[in-house]
Amino acid sequence: MDMAFDQYAGAPDGALLIAFANGDQTAARLLTVRLAPRALGQAMRMLSDRAESEDVVQEALLRLWKVAPDWRQGEAQVSTWLYRVVANLCTDRLRRRRRSVGLDEIAEPEDDVPSVSEQMVASARMQALTDALAALPDRQAQAVALRHLEGLGNPEIAEIMEISVEAVESLTARGKRALAAILAERKAELGFSDD
Amino acid sequence: MTDLNKELSDLELDAVFATVRGAEPDLGDDFMARLFADIDAQVPVAAPIVPSKPARIGLIASLFAALGGWAGLGGLTAATAAGLWIGISPPTALDSVSSVIWGDSLTLSVVAADDVLGLEG
Repeated sequence: MDMAFDQYAGAPDGALLIAFANGDQTAARLLTVRLAPRALGQAMRMLSDRAESEDVVQEALLRLWKVAPDWRQGEAQVSTWLYRVVANLCTDRLRRRRRSVGLDEIAEPEDDVPSVSEQMVASARMQALTDALAALPDRQAQAVALRHLEGLGNPEIAEIMEISVEAVESLTARGKRALAAILAERKAELGFSDD
Repeated sequence: MTDLNKELSDLELDAVFATVRGAEPDLGDDFMARLFADIDAQVPVAAPIVPSKPARIGLIASLFAALGGWAGLGGLTAATAAGLWIGISPPTALDSVSSVIWGDSLTLSVVAADDVLGLEG
């Protein structure tokens, strides 16, 4: 790690954000190194698009720097805040796709390819999942992504989405059922050929 | 025969999730540089201290300043008022002090009191 970051080794994210609010750029750079990879991963898993995901992360971090002067240490985790903002920005973009593309079009199965490589299947699954998430209501898409793509526990998701654990359970259950139905039309493309 | 219209089983859906889950992507130098540039542009700065513009000082303002401003002017006014009051109505204690310094008053006359016309040479 950069030598300039050594002085902050072990400092909590909130402390780094407050240091940035006091004019310390190095603290913000370390925070970026800590948080941006995970945020980019979260965005890419929801959007399946590198350029769009980078824009989302850049926007989310810009918002973080802007709220820094008002940040109260101990009131919220920076990582929780960032999960929330990235999830919201991703569903905004998915909603725009939904409007511009249309559900029929995104659910259209491609020609049945009998033998596709593992990489193509992976790519097809990512794209299919993104399309399917775009078809879900925003809150369901966020809950499913946080639970099944980010691997977070329900209490943490509840904190991120600012709802109860029961509401998270309900959203993820409904979201999963909806995804299973939407993806049914793309089974072959996804590499499932059960007889 | 594959039932393409049957919804995905939990197992299949989990397989899709597992494919999408993975290691965090590498940020790349260019993207990192963009993020760092944002930090440089956003870093909060303390409001700069702007020196007040020196005002032009006129004659009256110069005198006012030379007297020590309002405090000096107040003292001067009080001293003037006190001096005027002592002059108009000197305290008794001050009379005896002036007697000590100047002595008692003496009246001299060069003509007799009953010869107001000075006819008697």
